Amino acid sequence: MAERGASRRIRAIAWRDFRYTALTKSFLIGAIILPALMFVAVPLLPMLIGSTSPPLKGKVVVIDPSNSIANALEKSLPKTPQDTIDLEDGGPNSGPTEVALTVESEPDPARADEFRLQLRNSSLQALVIVTPNTDGPSIELLVPSEASPRHTTILEKSLREAVTRVRVEQAKEDYERMTKIMGRAAIDTRRVSPGGLESKENAQLRMLVPAGFMLLLWISVFTSGNYLLTSTIEEKSSRVMEVLLSATSPIELLTGKLVGQAGVAGVMLLMYGGVSLAGLGAVAMLDVVPLPHLLWMLVWFPLAYFTVAAIMVSIGSAVSDLREAQSLIAPAMMLLILPLMLWMPIVENPNGTLATICSFTPPAGPFIMILRLTAANEPVPMWQALLAVFVNVLTVAAILWAGARIFRVGVLMQGKPPSPMELLRWIKAR
Amino acid sequence: MNNIVIQLTNVNKSFGALQAVRNVSFEIQRGQVCGFLGPNGAGKSTTIRMIMSILLPDSGAISVLGGSALDAKDRIGYLPEERGLYRKMRVADFLRFIAKLKGISRNDADTRIRSWLERVELPGVSQKRCEELSKGMQQKLQFIASVLHEPLLLILDEPFSGLDPVNRRLLSSIVRQLKESGTTILFSTHQMEQAEDLCDQVLLIHKGEKVLDETMGEIRGRFDPRTILAEPANSIEVSTQALQNVSDIETFRWSMEHKAFEIRVAQGVDTQLAMASVMRATPLRRVELQRATLDDVFVKLVGGTVAEIETAEKSGKLQANHG
Repeated sequence: MAERGASRRIRAIAWRDFRYTALTKSFLIGAIILPALMFVAVPLLPMLIGSTSPPLKGKVVVIDPSNSIANALEKSLPKTPQDTIDLEDGGPNSGPTEVALTVESEPDPARADEFRLQLRNSSLQALVIVTPNTDGPSIELLVPSEASPRHTTILEKSLREAVTRVRVEQAKEDYERMTKIMGRAAIDTRRVSPGGLESKENAQLRMLVPAGFMLLLWISVFTSGNYLLTSTIEEKSSRVMEVLLSATSPIELLTGKLVGQAGVAGVMLLMYGGVSLAGLGAVAMLDVVPLPHLLWMLVWFPLAYFTVAAIMVSIGSAVSDLREAQSLIAPAMMLLILPLMLWMPIVENPNGTLATICSFTPPAGPFIMILRLTAANEPVPMWQALLAVFVNVLTVAAILWAGARIFRVGVLMQGKPPSPMELLRWIKAR
Repeated sequence: MNNIVIQLTNVNKSFGALQAVRNVSFEIQRGQVCGFLGPNGAGKSTTIRMIMSILLPDSGAISVLGGSALDAKDRIGYLPEERGLYRKMRVADFLRFIAKLKGISRNDADTRIRSWLERVELPGVSQKRCEELSKGMQQKLQFIASVLHEPLLLILDEPFSGLDPVNRRLLSSIVRQLKESGTTILFSTHQMEQAEDLCDQVLLIHKGEKVLDETMGEIRGRFDPRTILAEPANSIEVSTQALQNVSDIETFRWSMEHKAFEIRVAQGVDTQLAMASVMRATPLRRVELQRATLDDVFVKLVGGTVAEIETAEKSGKLQANHG
């Protein structure tokens, strides 16, 4: 009978917390409309980026006593907008750029100051000063301060090609022939799944996938953890806590709140995760998220949630307002932002010493482990994965136990926030 | 069947250096209305919180409805001293939530909510947010939350504070109806008239210690009234001279409040004989034995110095939630 009473009360508290968090306008905007907008915006983004590159037009003056570089530069400038993509190896930010430059050669170095002045009032796009040396010319490229970095990159690459062209021609070789010989071979890398499906390799995306998993976990867990913190503080400051405690025990209240906000975190995870998967599906890249990754997410999500939630709810129960909460949250946050700071080295070397140590470091362990387990380059030994699960289960149990004891004492306390020593006393209190 | 609803045995509770409750023991019988009195910071709310199992005692035993309050929360109604509501929740939703916690089905809860809102004269507020209600309305809403599940035991911590006289009277009459329907009620209050009017039993606690635990009849008997109120038929001056010659009285003074002499009967003298002596000494329009009020008992037992009460209030503020 008591058991049934307890579960009924826990359900009532959980549903109230879920309903007044997840079924509100602000949450619906954040958790549903935002991912939906992202879903629309992500495919459009490359198109938008690609179409916004302004043309590179105007005059370039090359001060070159030998008069060889100016000629070569004219030949090396991109002839079509498509050539500018080739120049940049087709990187993600390289939309086609129209180039319409006239190159003027000036043999007299004494006129450099005159052209510098023209550069300052933007009547020149660039000034190139070539100084002959015994081991080849040294080259300065001067551009106006407002020049776009993309235009500067195009000019640098064209100049580099022009110098190479001069060197090749001085060696009495045919530049076009040499370019053909030295040109990079096109390699079509594809990954083959155990089922025999072949998909195009995308190294950058593969680096981003573990970060995506970790961020998904982080955002869903911290959003609901934050709701838990603020709702507990609100219940304390509005004095509704004692009304609740007259109807339920502190442990039932804590359990109800944790379960309710777990639902909120679950909704966030499903919404953002679902949109991400739909996005990958739309560009036929679902293979970058194999099923084991999703299963590991199911293992690490509850561990990450209960770790963060227990910390947040115990801090919420110990303080009277958000300002006081910040000072108590700071030490825990230092550890919890580790995965955000270290994702790159961990993904590059998921079995390195740093990654291994961090995955057993509470409370960041779950976030580090999801980074390691979803990194594509080398599998994490199974014994390490299982040991990390075991360590983090123990951590969650310990944090929940301490959190419950702080909650039990803290929810009725008003006045100045407790010191860390007082929190320890609350944990040890009968 | 055991008739004891609440039983405290040698209960102690300290907060750091402050001992809020010292060795308190008492019993409350089924169907009784017990007034829990004491100055601010005396330990009333701490004792009530221990009865509710919100706080645990350092030592001693507490039995509520035959066991721990934790196992009987569905049968106990509690109105805490600190009023609290979910500000953004609608009134009906808040009461439904509390009803659900107390094990009432949704349909039953809706019927009871409608009936109680009408009973406390709050019709038409069910769809309003709690924050839209006035302070008095919020207090009545919380009262409903404490009685919605028809508890066997109702604990009210300062139920009348902050209410206007009309609402105070309304709540008093509801408490009286609940008493008549057999609900055991423990309530703390500073309103002595209310306590005198409603209580069968009075508990007085001071500096954490119980100083009185008696029925109203026992209190009236024990605090034997020894003041006579006498309204003279003659002028005050003539009556004053006459009273100076009465040997059975200790002191007397003119009371503007009562428009009569307040005459203190000498120790060891029967009050009836003293009244007869006064009537013989001077003609009177009215003479009566002044009844001992709970107010008098309170001031007598607590010491009643303003300084003491202020000190107690200060310590109460420091331990706002444990006083």
